[in-house]
Amino acid sequence: MRAPHRWRRLRRATACALAVVAAVAMSGCDAAQGGIATQEGIPEEIKLLGVRDQTGPVAYAGIGGARGGELAISEINRSGFLGDGVKLTIEEIDTAGSIETASAEMAQATADRTVHAIMGPTQGQQAATVAPMVERAQVPTIFTQAGSDGVVVNDYTYRATAPMASYYDLATEYLADKRLGDVSVLYNATFPTFAEIGKGSLPKQAEQHGLDIISSTPVQSTTQDFTTPVRSIAGEDPDAVVMLLTEPQSVTALTQLRQAGYDGQVMATSVQGGGNLTEAGKHGEGVIYPTDFSPALTSEKARDFVAAFQERFGQKPDVYAAEGYDGMWWLARAIKASGSASREGIKRGLQQVAKEGFDGAMGELTFEGNDMRVPGVLVRWNGTSEELVSRGGAS
Amino acid sequence: MAQHILNAVALGSVYLVFALGMALAWSTIGILNFAHGATFMFSAFTAHVITQQVALPMPAVVLIAVAAGALIATLTQVLAFGPIMRRATEHRAAELRILIGGIGVAAIPLAIAERVTASAPFGFRGSTYQAQVFEVFGLRMTTTVLVIVVAGIGIGVGVWRWLATSRQGLALRAIGVDSETASLMGVDRATLALGTMATSGALAGLAGALLTFQLGAIAPASGDQLLIKAFAIVVLGGLGSMGGVIVGAFVLAGAETFVLAMNQGTWVDAVSFGLIFLVLLLRPQGLFGRKEVRRT
Repeated sequence: MRAPHRWRRLRRATACALAVVAAVAMSGCDAAQGGIATQEGIPEEIKLLGVRDQTGPVAYAGIGGARGGELAISEINRSGFLGDGVKLTIEEIDTAGSIETASAEMAQATADRTVHAIMGPTQGQQAATVAPMVERAQVPTIFTQAGSDGVVVNDYTYRATAPMASYYDLATEYLADKRLGDVSVLYNATFPTFAEIGKGSLPKQAEQHGLDIISSTPVQSTTQDFTTPVRSIAGEDPDAVVMLLTEPQSVTALTQLRQAGYDGQVMATSVQGGGNLTEAGKHGEGVIYPTDFSPALTSEKARDFVAAFQERFGQKPDVYAAEGYDGMWWLARAIKASGSASREGIKRGLQQVAKEGFDGAMGELTFEGNDMRVPGVLVRWNGTSEELVSRGGAS
Repeated sequence: MAQHILNAVALGSVYLVFALGMALAWSTIGILNFAHGATFMFSAFTAHVITQQVALPMPAVVLIAVAAGALIATLTQVLAFGPIMRRATEHRAAELRILIGGIGVAAIPLAIAERVTASAPFGFRGSTYQAQVFEVFGLRMTTTVLVIVVAGIGIGVGVWRWLATSRQGLALRAIGVDSETASLMGVDRATLALGTMATSGALAGLAGALLTFQLGAIAPASGDQLLIKAFAIVVLGGLGSMGGVIVGAFVLAGAETFVLAMNQGTWVDAVSFGLIFLVLLLRPQGLFGRKEVRRT
């Protein structure tokens, strides 16, 4: 049975009124939460989301990045850097080491119109998966770590971690200076960053500096015992061993290398920073590695960052925290430079700041496109902490 | 060459201790425990936490890990696998649920260890044990390797013979062949299952402690990598054959060591698992498995 015409009109009018009320309520809600992120200008609250691992196999990178960002936000808000009463806020969402979770959380985050920008996943595969998504949604996203190809691929994707290969020549320069000419390389060939250095940039840099790579030994990410490869390396008795391995692998390889009788110089990577060599005990002492940041840096910015971080978290910052800190300051400078916290405004600002560069905790920061570059520094692990080897670069 | 053989024997011994526990539960009480890797890791993690507070010698550290492993596996049996088996109407359904239950159980210790360590490597730096390096007939080895080889081969042969000759071993094998008939013959399946799981967990704990001493440190995810290898070892040796597990562990370790010695490290998994695939193509029941499905 059809309803009378008058009642149908009344129902339609009621539905329209409810829709209008709902839209007004939602926009009011958006405004109360910091404004719709596509509006130009700088609102009182600028809402950010951190979508990165807080648990899982590489939780240390996500936790470090989040802590560094948190410290930067407190400084930015306290100093009124973006104007009186303007606050940056961030909510951290755990991707738990899963590509699927990262993808789902990013889909939700990019759909939230109150979110101005995102601090993206630290794992390369997660980051590469979500990079096209942030372009479609046009949400500026700054990644830390995430060294894989396919991460910084459009105008909305940015990275606050310099590729390791871009400053690894500090290692080859050092070996050449110390006349450690014969070098054996032990590298994880299934870890993209190490594969690229081990097979690509390191042989070229070694040739430029007159080093002779006498052997190059690839292993997998699943390799746990290094007795066989390190015995071969120890038998070669090179002047130095370049070790491009993950955290647990490096502790094992170092221990077994020393037990195999090798007592020469070991050159590692920033992955061994942040106290990751502690478990190697005496076997880790004397290992040298280039890194984008060290708490041993002596520049004023670095010292201030280390002191503030220690005061807030009760421990020294690692590279991940420094990258999170400088990444957040990049974002704040971008908002200030463009005069807008809208997604488009932040995008414009990030590109503008990238053209100019700025001074951060990691030193004088420059950019290649949307990708950060750092001077880098060479440090030595003394068994309990890092000490500077080179006084150039970021020191 | 002799040095490579020694390296393979050391690696095989670690695989053996780990795989024995898994094989014991799988081939007797029919539990394919996917939480075995997490038990291995969390046992070592427990010992790591304690050695951070108290400096302990190697035997004490090993004992703590063994006790922790036995406790975790017993709790897993009481709280997860036991109820699953009681509620299942048929054996195949129970096996599948146990497999999934094991994955679920494994997530808990993994999450705890990852949270506490932020996924950084951990070891027994607080232990008073220091590995000594020595040479015998030109072969370089450490005291840790010696302990691992003796423990691995000793326990492997011991478990094999115990299952083959002891009264309880025979009862376990009877459960493996036909649990209902074994129960009618007076075998207390529930108690034996609990004991088997506790022993299996203790072996995981032993492997956790020994491997951590050998490697210097492990990470929370290290158990997962060993779990896949143990699975391959049991299948290669033949489900139900402890002798097969012993041979399988050393065949896998030998293949891996050979590939590494040839400086073809990226092919380790491909060659090792390819070899297993080949064996299974030619002999689907594994090297020492029987054609009919009879456990142990």
